[in-house]
Amino acid sequence: MANRTDPAAKSIRGTNPQNLVEKIVRSKIYQNTYWKEQCFGLTAETLVDKAMELDHIGGTYGGNRKPTPFMCLVMKMLQIQPEKDIVVEFIKNDDYKYVRVLGAFYLRLTGIDSDIYRYLEPLYNDYRKVRRKSPDGNFMLTHVDEVIDELLTRDYSCDIALPRIKKRWTLESLGVLDARKSVLEDDFEEEEEKDEMEQDGLEEEVAHEKDYYRARSPARERERDWRRDSHRHRDRDYDRDRDYDRERGRGRDRERDRDRDRDSDKDRYRLREEKEYGYERERDREREGRERDRRDRERGRRRSRSRSRSRERKRHGRSSMSPRRHEAEDGNAPEESKKKGKKEKKEKKEKKDDGTDHPDPEIAEANRIRASLGLKPLKL
Amino acid sequence: MIEVVLSDRLGKKVRVKCNEDDTIGDLKKLVAAQTGTRADKIRIQKWYTIYEDHITLKDYEIHDGMGLELYYN
Repeated sequence: MANRTDPAAKSIRGTNPQNLVEKIVRSKIYQNTYWKEQCFGLTAETLVDKAMELDHIGGTYGGNRKPTPFMCLVMKMLQIQPEKDIVVEFIKNDDYKYVRVLGAFYLRLTGIDSDIYRYLEPLYNDYRKVRRKSPDGNFMLTHVDEVIDELLTRDYSCDIALPRIKKRWTLESLGVLDARKSVLEDDFEEEEEKDEMEQDGLEEEVAHEKDYYRARSPARERERDWRRDSHRHRDRDYDRDRDYDRERGRGRDRERDRDRDRDSDKDRYRLREEKEYGYERERDREREGRERDRRDRERGRRRSRSRSRSRERKRHGRSSMSPRRHEAEDGNAPEESKKKGKKEKKEKKEKKDDGTDHPDPEIAEANRIRASLGLKPLKL
Repeated sequence: MIEVVLSDRLGKKVRVKCNEDDTIGDLKKLVAAQTGTRADKIRIQKWYTIYEDHITLKDYEIHDGMGLELYYN
């Protein structure tokens, strides 16, 4: 009785709205004491009170996958199906950030695509901290805009599979949405002008080139500081860059930034033209490429550590391998890793050391899967 | 390299090749790659012992050909 959906509720995506949450998680919610005690007989108004008491978001946690109160309230909203106005009110309210996130989550599950983009994108400007319960039961720090980003770009969040929505550019080409206007656009233009003026003073840059290997150039440093400062008013791109810097460890990113810096200084004359084409677009492209690069490089870097050891061992064993190949790589290794992009070289190495070219097709296949998951190859 | 057999109660049987020093978390990823469920939805048990993600197969003394139970979270 308590778990039945409101009979007046519409079906969402062709099914009972509660079925948006999958069976196992749903059963876990129904057995939860918070659901049984607090969520019994809630209406839209009383739901608001409960939502205001929330102090963390999250999915299921712990050994027996206990659901968080956040999930129970999402389930309750799916059950009673409040009006769109109420949900928009949840999102618009400024005082209670967890109510906002709850409304945003519900809209993401049940709303239409254009509504989702229209109402969730303004929330990118909300940079408040949010407590998130991780699957092992500890709390993690995240921010409202990170949560929104996850809702808009990923297809799984808080142990609930998010329904597929159309890509933004599809809706733009249909004319339903306008092109995305970033709040930081004015800041971008200012920074562009500043950079252009800096590039006029080329002599300073040349003198600082030597510092690139160790420290950052003043131009880049200023940019980095600006990036850090514009922490407050963030664009999605910068947010992701900054977060990756923070989370993935400075060391790796600094090396890549150094690579980028070096490359971009070589193309300094071209850089000015690029900037005219539009800062944002370049960043979008870079961001996409960067993510791919980052993934490959992380994997490659992780592998390179084990590879150096195994390569020594294999050198004795695999005498049948062409010696030229080994020598060539050894000779090139120190230089290449500094100058050229690492990606190509790592790809060549992967084929050799991952066992994906093993004669037995089953083992080769298994190794291929392991490589794609980031695991070391099978030890035979 | 050892081969572990995981079976759930609905007739799904999966044979996975892995190293002894892989962790249970890695094993779950391999199983997820083969069955199509998400790795974090999988629970690997032996009778009532739930195997934890951060411990290696070697430490759990999982040998070649051993059967494990596959449950879902």
